[in-house]
Amino acid sequence: MIGLSRPVFAAFLAGAWLLLGSAAFAAEDIVIGAVFPLTGNGSQVGLDAKAAIETEAEIINGHHDIPMLLGQGGGLPALGGAHVRLIFADSQNDPQKARAEAERLITQDHVVAIIGSYTSATAVTISQVAERYQIPYMSSDNSSPSLSQRGLQWFFRTSPQDEMFTQAMFDFFKEIGTKTGRPVHSVALIYEDSIFGSDSSRVQKKDAEAAGIKVAADIRYRANSPSLSTEVERLRAADADVLMPSSYTSDAILLLRAMQEIGYHPKALLAQDAGFVQEGFFQAVGSLAEGVMSRSAFALDATRSRPAITPVNALFHARSGKDLNDLTSRELTALQVLADAINRAGTATNEALRKALIATDIKGADTIMPWRGVHFDASGQNTEATPVIQQVIGGHYRTIFPDDVATSEPVWNVGK
Amino acid sequence: MTPALVMQVALGGLLMGLIYALVAAGLSLIFGLMDVVNFAHGELLMLAMYATFFIHRGFGLDPIVQLPIIALLLFGMGVVIYHGLIARALSVRFNRGMVQIFSTFGLAIFLRGAAQFAFGGDFRAINHSWLAGRTLRLATLSLPLPQLAAGLVCLLAFAALMAISRTEFGRALEATREDREAVALIGIDRDRIFALGWGLGCATVGCAGAMLAGFYYVSPDVGANFALIAYVTVALGGFGSLLGALVAGLIIGEVEALTALFLEPSLKQVGMFAIYLAVLLFRPRGLFGTL
Repeated sequence: MIGLSRPVFAAFLAGAWLLLGSAAFAAEDIVIGAVFPLTGNGSQVGLDAKAAIETEAEIINGHHDIPMLLGQGGGLPALGGAHVRLIFADSQNDPQKARAEAERLITQDHVVAIIGSYTSATAVTISQVAERYQIPYMSSDNSSPSLSQRGLQWFFRTSPQDEMFTQAMFDFFKEIGTKTGRPVHSVALIYEDSIFGSDSSRVQKKDAEAAGIKVAADIRYRANSPSLSTEVERLRAADADVLMPSSYTSDAILLLRAMQEIGYHPKALLAQDAGFVQEGFFQAVGSLAEGVMSRSAFALDATRSRPAITPVNALFHARSGKDLNDLTSRELTALQVLADAINRAGTATNEALRKALIATDIKGADTIMPWRGVHFDASGQNTEATPVIQQVIGGHYRTIFPDDVATSEPVWNVGK
Repeated sequence: MTPALVMQVALGGLLMGLIYALVAAGLSLIFGLMDVVNFAHGELLMLAMYATFFIHRGFGLDPIVQLPIIALLLFGMGVVIYHGLIARALSVRFNRGMVQIFSTFGLAIFLRGAAQFAFGGDFRAINHSWLAGRTLRLATLSLPLPQLAAGLVCLLAFAALMAISRTEFGRALEATREDREAVALIGIDRDRIFALGWGLGCATVGCAGAMLAGFYYVSPDVGANFALIAYVTVALGGFGSLLGALVAGLIIGEVEALTALFLEPSLKQVGMFAIYLAVLLFRPRGLFGTL
């Protein structure tokens, strides 16, 4: 720099800084990681999740003018219209691979947050990595209650967890029992042996006891077994009023088919979501699904109170050839909530982002979800995520509970 | 726990055991013939199931009618796999065992990935076939017809395999297995015998796949559920023994069903592996093994 006069040098520096700064500013995408099972067992769920999250990114970055938060498009307004860019990683539905992929996203791709991950078992490892590197883990669709009870600082779950879901199921039992005069006296539990099934059944047992309902069968089975016929025989022997399964798609198919084979028709079946809401499940079991009930975080038919559902669903359908379901709607919403926090933080640095997430206060009507809203408690759980109960009527899930969002009358055979 | 329940579960175990036996038969045949453990066995089952599914969807052919078509298809596939991959793996001079393991393992990963690429990850199933959803009721027992038919096909397939082993070709198989060098001296084309052996092994798993597709879901990973059990079945029955595969398949089906009934359903594989370990400890060559 010898020979350069001081003012010229200062001007040069200032110019360079402006040029670099503004160039960097305009081009700076917000990079967000997403870990889902894209191959292996559960891959279709992961591929659907990818389509859902990409749809939300398209809404934020593009110009679709949808009546919901960040639906006007054009990027994140507080960051000069910065676009959201997604990097997907494949967990292969394996907790150890999920851990490695999360680490890679953080250290090599420098993502500002991670969204995931369908199965709760993979969420355990991903959220641990996120905690270590101090970036937010947005749990879009993991429902095990224990995930948010580990004292993590960087864990945020927009979706209801199984305690809230299960509470809604027993609230539904109570209400329909009073309404029809045919209450539930006993339930049979059947659940797969990973964290999802164990947590789900634990809460169900607790709630059943509190409601004075007998647990007539308590069957923990091995996930992805070649046959569930023995398990179904035990269920038939128990003959409970309501069968309550917690299963992923392959087992949900086997369960319903095995039930049909031996001619066991439970009076009511209320599922803990997961496999029972998948397209593949409906294709594989066909009309056997009629009358099946499931808890859900999403109501596709609630278009009257959530006008954004129709245009968002159209965008998602164009991408995936499917309608939004309980999982894809939540995955899409997780990115919306995260993007809103980044926008309010005005930056993507981790501490500011965490503060903004904690301060989140979104009204349900600003999303596509039938929830009261989005607001995180100290454990990172959204306390305003109010679930619904749905039933397959005429081949499609219709919302039957609670009354304010219900679109159909339930078919209730208990006590008949 | 009523006697009727125990009977029903035992019967279910028996039918499942026949399926396990049929899946294991092809594996056992190939191993017995040339000492190659085919790690892609589950994936061949998966392909057979997909083929059945798509032929059913495209032409409306019932899985039972498809049985010979799928068997033939898989026979061809077995011959192609032998010539394209296994013959080359057998011809290496260095570390032959490892090369065989990795080549079939690689084939498994490739087939699974290709299936996911071509067919997607969704679960599919045949909903309308002659037998789907039909059940034979005998007093308190219910026998699902698709499983019953699969069991019958399994017994027929075993009978056919036993019959083949008594023919001239069967004796050539046996001789090649005994001494693969010496047979060349008496004019037996070793390569041809091996290829036919692979074809036969794959055709057997094709039969299992066609029958399974009638009542089971199809997905790129479906083979893995059955492959592990097939390896245990072969090891339990004795490598290379057809009768062993049949008996071991039945034992595993029963142990699995009864463990799920009397103990915890989540422990059903524990019972199966406990028996396997016991056999390893006291009779390492398996129940009917001669090797």
